[in-house]
Amino acid sequence: MTASARSQRSAARDYAPAVTGFGMLVAFLLLMELLVQTGLVNRFIVPPPSEIIASFGRVIVEEHVFSRFVLTLTECLTAGVMLTIFGVAGGVIMHRFQLLQQACETWVAAMASAPIVLMYPLFLVIFGRNSWTIIMMGFISALPPVILKTIEGISGTRRVLVNVGRSFNLTGQQQFWKILFPAALPNIFVGIRLGLIFALINIVGVEFLINYGGLGQLINDLAERYDLPGTYAAICFVILVSVLFFMTLEKIERWLRPID
Amino acid sequence: MPASSPAHADNAILVVDNITMRFDTSEGAVFAVDDVSFDVKPGEFLSVIGPSGCGKSTLFNVIGGLLGNYQGAVSVTGETISGPHKSIGMVFQEESTFPWRSVTDNVAFPLELIGMPKETRIERAKHFIGLVGLAGFENRYPGELSGGMRQRVSLARTLASEPKILLMDEPFAALDEQTRLLLGDKVLQIQQQLKQTTLLITHNITEAVQMSDRILVMTYRPGKVKRIVNIDLPRPRTSEIVSSEAFGRYVAQIWSDLREEASRGMRDEDAQALHHKGASA
Amino acid sequence: MINQVTLLRVAIILSLLAIWEFLSHSGWLYRDVVPSLLSIGHALLGLLSSPSYYFNLGVTAAEVATALAIGGASGIAFGVVLGANRFLARAYEPYLYYLGPTPKIIFFPILIMWFGVGPESKIALGTLSCFFPVALSVAAGMRAIDKVLIRVGISFRANPWQMAMKIYLPAMRHPIINGIRLGLGVALIGTLLAETKLSNKGIGFLIIQAYSIFDMPRMYAMLIVLFVLAIGANGLVGRLGGLHGIKQQ
Repeated sequence: MTASARSQRSAARDYAPAVTGFGMLVAFLLLMELLVQTGLVNRFIVPPPSEIIASFGRVIVEEHVFSRFVLTLTECLTAGVMLTIFGVAGGVIMHRFQLLQQACETWVAAMASAPIVLMYPLFLVIFGRNSWTIIMMGFISALPPVILKTIEGISGTRRVLVNVGRSFNLTGQQQFWKILFPAALPNIFVGIRLGLIFALINIVGVEFLINYGGLGQLINDLAERYDLPGTYAAICFVILVSVLFFMTLEKIERWLRPID
Repeated sequence: MPASSPAHADNAILVVDNITMRFDTSEGAVFAVDDVSFDVKPGEFLSVIGPSGCGKSTLFNVIGGLLGNYQGAVSVTGETISGPHKSIGMVFQEESTFPWRSVTDNVAFPLELIGMPKETRIERAKHFIGLVGLAGFENRYPGELSGGMRQRVSLARTLASEPKILLMDEPFAALDEQTRLLLGDKVLQIQQQLKQTTLLITHNITEAVQMSDRILVMTYRPGKVKRIVNIDLPRPRTSEIVSSEAFGRYVAQIWSDLREEASRGMRDEDAQALHHKGASA
Repeated sequence: MINQVTLLRVAIILSLLAIWEFLSHSGWLYRDVVPSLLSIGHALLGLLSSPSYYFNLGVTAAEVATALAIGGASGIAFGVVLGANRFLARAYEPYLYYLGPTPKIIFFPILIMWFGVGPESKIALGTLSCFFPVALSVAAGMRAIDKVLIRVGISFRANPWQMAMKIYLPAMRHPIINGIRLGLGVALIGTLLAETKLSNKGIGFLIIQAYSIFDMPRMYAMLIVLFVLAIGANGLVGRLGGLHGIKQQ
């Protein structure tokens, strides 16, 4: 087999799965279109995909999707900055004071699995019906993974690296900033990424629940107006945004950790 | 290419006949093994030794029935194999004990598969656990044992299925030299006691000479049979044999064969590494 | 065993409670945002002795259990298929991977349209939430199985059922348990959030009801019970699966 024929075959093999997956999606949409148009599926429950796609344009323009997106993103980034600062600091402090870590680490881990978002009525009362409720909910629910991953990163520094530092008689501060912290950075970034994911989920969710804010509120709005195609379109839009968000986070993480 | 079938001994229990295995890679066809033939007699201990890249593991997987797509045939007591044969028991190089099962449950595994009742199989397992020298550790878990002990569990597990032919792929490769010698002793002892036909794949010359009746030396890729050496050291043997003169002569002889092949292998790998580096630069 | 760690924990808890009580009586915050510990305790007792609370608890528990069963089972099934077959995994797993972290509550309006306003829509949301982490965890678990263990099974000529029950399943016990823990967590959240949005039964409904009449002590009491139950259930699942401590991921 010639080299070019071989590379053609392997290229086809590479793209085949992606094409299959996407193809199935398209096939599914076509099937739904057929089912709805022929009346087998009630169009007041599931609008035909063509209508949904058609309403994309309308939704984007009339509902100010762009400014809503910016609002949600701003909330997310604010929460993100807060959880980076407090989460990493929290993790560092807990690592520094071993006793504190031993006492509290399991509590933090428990918080990670607790339904914090359910406290949203409480946050509403405390912060009022504005973006701060949303930001704080995102922040609090995203804190545990950042703290835990920071601790994991710092304490997981390979023994031999720590010993190198000690052999050079580094002070505690130098040891931390020159060895422990850089060594922990990959884990810290993973923690921040997890935190941002938690934050986005909770932020969009709370926007939906309290009917305030950016994209989450949009869905709620359209649903209450019984704009069926619009609701589906808005949901698709939110999915798209969240998918792009995560992909971007992954790219950034990969860019920051080239040697892995 | 397969020549006419060589004559095989009449009483051979395992017959490997003109095995050729080729892989298609981006650089063209590669023959892992080329026209390999040999037999193993009942109760015999045969080692297959060769440099890395000589196809020993391929041979192991072919005889064990884990690989298809080869030319030639392997037969056990006259029956051509087409998949793992019930008369062949395999011991793998890697850690292969089930971490979630106790030692007893690990060893009883093959008996469980054939539906042996619980009491019988536990008793049978205990017997083989004792045979490999792990009596008293029946209720421990692999996580609590050392590497050498875990390999003994794997060995006991395979022996528990009472295979006509024991097929081992460098089972002691991950262990340190001293443990290896002592375990080699144990295996020899068991083999002599059970009169177990054994086929050992290894790259360790000392190990091969210590334990075998015959040694098959393979060439570097494509793997062919370079030479078959009869080891006429007295039986029963122990690891003390390593200090004898005859032992040393066998090792030297095999090493001189092997060295040629091993250097070819090294030159080849170096050339490949350079080639790939150049290609990606 | 009174050691330093326990002492520190007790000290932290006591100081937090003290700060709370102080804030409660200080008048700095809007009334009842931080109710006194006594009133919360009172509300807690009232809650735990009221049969209607247990009724609602039962409703929510049943919804979560059903969601976990359906979502968990389908998640395991899909996970096994995707883990076993590389082509299917490369074709479809990216969808699961990127859809997984999307907040499922946004699907709730659609689910109401499909399933009505009763418990079915809550179960549906719980199932949807729970499916993704279980499927992804199981798929990853399948791929992480030590290949040599599979070869051992084949070399002993185990039939497919034996391979599945005696090798694949036990080898995957950690990912499966962790997937179910995660699934339980998100199923719980999904179901409860759905109840807060639109329901007339269940704990979520009670919470939002307490909020609407500004009965803060009662709301705090319910949140406390909820958190204790959620963390307890998580630990229980982990313990059942042979994992110790919440930290093990």
